[in-house]
Amino acid sequence: MGCCCTKQRVDQKDPAVLASQTYFNLSEIEALYDLFKKLSSSIIDDGVISKEEFQLGLFGSSEKRSLFADRVFELFDSKNNGVIEFGEFVQALSVFHPAAPQTQKADFAFRLYDICQRGFIQRHEVREMILALLNESNLVLSHEIIEVIIDKTFEEADSKGDGRIDPEEWQEFVARNPSLLLRNMTIPYLKDLTTQFHSFKLTSGIEDCTSRSSTSPEKDNILELKDNFNGVSIN
Amino acid sequence: MKKVRRKIGKYEVGRTIGEGTFAKVKFARNSETGDSVAIKIMAKTTILQHRMVEQIKREISIMKIVRNPNIVRLHEVLASQTRIYIILEFVMGGELYDKIVQQGKLSENESRRYFQQLIDTVDHCHRKGVYHRDLKPENLLLDAYGNLKVSDFGLSALTKQGVDLLHTTCGTPNYVAPEVLSNRGYDGAAADVWSCGVILYVLMAGYLPFEEADLPTLYRRINAAEFVCPFWFSADTKSFIQKILDPNPKTRVKIEEIRKEPWFKKNYFPVKLGEDEQVNLDDVRAVFDDIEDQYVAERSEITEGGPLIMNAFEMIALSQGLNLSPLFDRLQDNVKRQTRFVSRKPAKVIISSIEAVAESMGLKVHSRNYKVRLEGVSANRVGPFAVVLEVFEVAPSLFMVDVRRATGDTFDYHKFYMNFCAKLGNIIWRPAGTMPNSNLLKQMTL
Repeated sequence: MGCCCTKQRVDQKDPAVLASQTYFNLSEIEALYDLFKKLSSSIIDDGVISKEEFQLGLFGSSEKRSLFADRVFELFDSKNNGVIEFGEFVQALSVFHPAAPQTQKADFAFRLYDICQRGFIQRHEVREMILALLNESNLVLSHEIIEVIIDKTFEEADSKGDGRIDPEEWQEFVARNPSLLLRNMTIPYLKDLTTQFHSFKLTSGIEDCTSRSSTSPEKDNILELKDNFNGVSIN
Repeated sequence: MKKVRRKIGKYEVGRTIGEGTFAKVKFARNSETGDSVAIKIMAKTTILQHRMVEQIKREISIMKIVRNPNIVRLHEVLASQTRIYIILEFVMGGELYDKIVQQGKLSENESRRYFQQLIDTVDHCHRKGVYHRDLKPENLLLDAYGNLKVSDFGLSALTKQGVDLLHTTCGTPNYVAPEVLSNRGYDGAAADVWSCGVILYVLMAGYLPFEEADLPTLYRRINAAEFVCPFWFSADTKSFIQKILDPNPKTRVKIEEIRKEPWFKKNYFPVKLGEDEQVNLDDVRAVFDDIEDQYVAERSEITEGGPLIMNAFEMIALSQGLNLSPLFDRLQDNVKRQTRFVSRKPAKVIISSIEAVAESMGLKVHSRNYKVRLEGVSANRVGPFAVVLEVFEVAPSLFMVDVRRATGDTFDYHKFYMNFCAKLGNIIWRPAGTMPNSNLLKQMTL
């Protein structure tokens, strides 16, 4: 038991380090930790989120499979060891924060859609994803129609005309179509974590004994605003 | 070989993000600064035909005057030989209306925050002698940080179609103050306050305080301020809303009084405004003063808008597996299966079929820009039930209709969907070889 606890604590990243590397402040990371604990113990209480626990959180069923949920899980699991640890969880969610720049969201989306992980998006990958969406929706479209859709999309996105979409073309494409293409890349709840999950703060198991480390200039304004907000809500 | 990019002045033009009767809105990027903008494009012939030159000119000038962080900013006005281009700030987060549609009611704290921003913004405009007169959630946008952006302050002519709201048969005046309905002279400030109160009610309740099938009953209820607060409104909230939705404009609470209310002051951070800038209207004058000269030479051509055109990645983004919000929103129970269908009928036929079937099922219908909201009472009478449908074009003459539950329980929704699709059968397209009832049979087994 002691050994198990020790291992868990060693695995956890320092909240102050996570705060300096993400768009979350210390209070928000505490709130995320509570959420993480709920997810990671929903099937087996082992301190990490398994694929089944992730599916349970997303779909309400651990059995339900999805090509897209698999891709999200793989990107969250940055160490590539088959489970999501707390540090990985926070760093991945940071991309979905409203304050994260569009280029960062677009890069994450690109890696989601690059199923074969070759550094570019190819027609067959897009076809596979469209078929997965149609299957999920219980729809059927003919092969010809799917090709028309892909043709039209590559005509817009593949500016170099080489039959695939590279990161540069993707950023350009997203810059012209941001609101629809990135519609899932921002989770508004992440902006109000400590307000909406206020009770989490009271039950958090993290010891708040570390001082706040220095942050990058870009983040200073965000932290300043949030500190004011948190200060008022405490009163 | 790189594709040719369309440019308007220094703006690289992207996709169409909105269409209406009088204007098309396109996304664009300022090639000098990299900033995103929205370009509202109007044909000069359209403006002339509807005698809207002076009105639009005045309202664009107004929009330049009322600059504020919570108002969609107008950057400049440009013109080509045949078109007027209004360059607006691009607002990333969509409409507050869509948020209500998706989430149903918002929490008291969240509603309060939007309301505070709305009141600050409206007050800023009133101090400059500008009244909105058409405040409703569809005119309230959200930026990427979730802050409010009021749009159409000064551009409401584009949505009113050049005719007074009271004389149009389109839509119902759910947000309009009683004194405006009675068509006497009225105080613009008091009328806007009433509209803000209706908006606050909608945010917190998830539905309108005044809504009737027939206009006379609706007018009577608005004039009497006959509304009921749902049980989840706290006593303080009820008291606050009743002060705003006072049918007598003379005794209705004013903005400076609203600011002193304890309900309003909780977590309130007034926006710090900068110095009033010098307003330059030269570009507006330059664009409009010579518009008459072009009229004789032009051929008239009015094209109606269509549904949003969806590319492959936008289809993929619809997937349930890419929507991470359920991890955070415990109130949102999971719909077991995504509900969509495909149709080969023209988009207008799809919309009118949806409306006809919904009305035959006793539902209230609200349609706008190829998006339809259906409302009714759940079978077990527990609470309101609402569904949102949106039409997208995915290939030439091929449309996908996305159907989503907005409020009400999952069981009611699935029963509704089966019933609804059975009635819509004639517009739902299935490729040859697919049994018409196979989808319904699959649904039954879920």
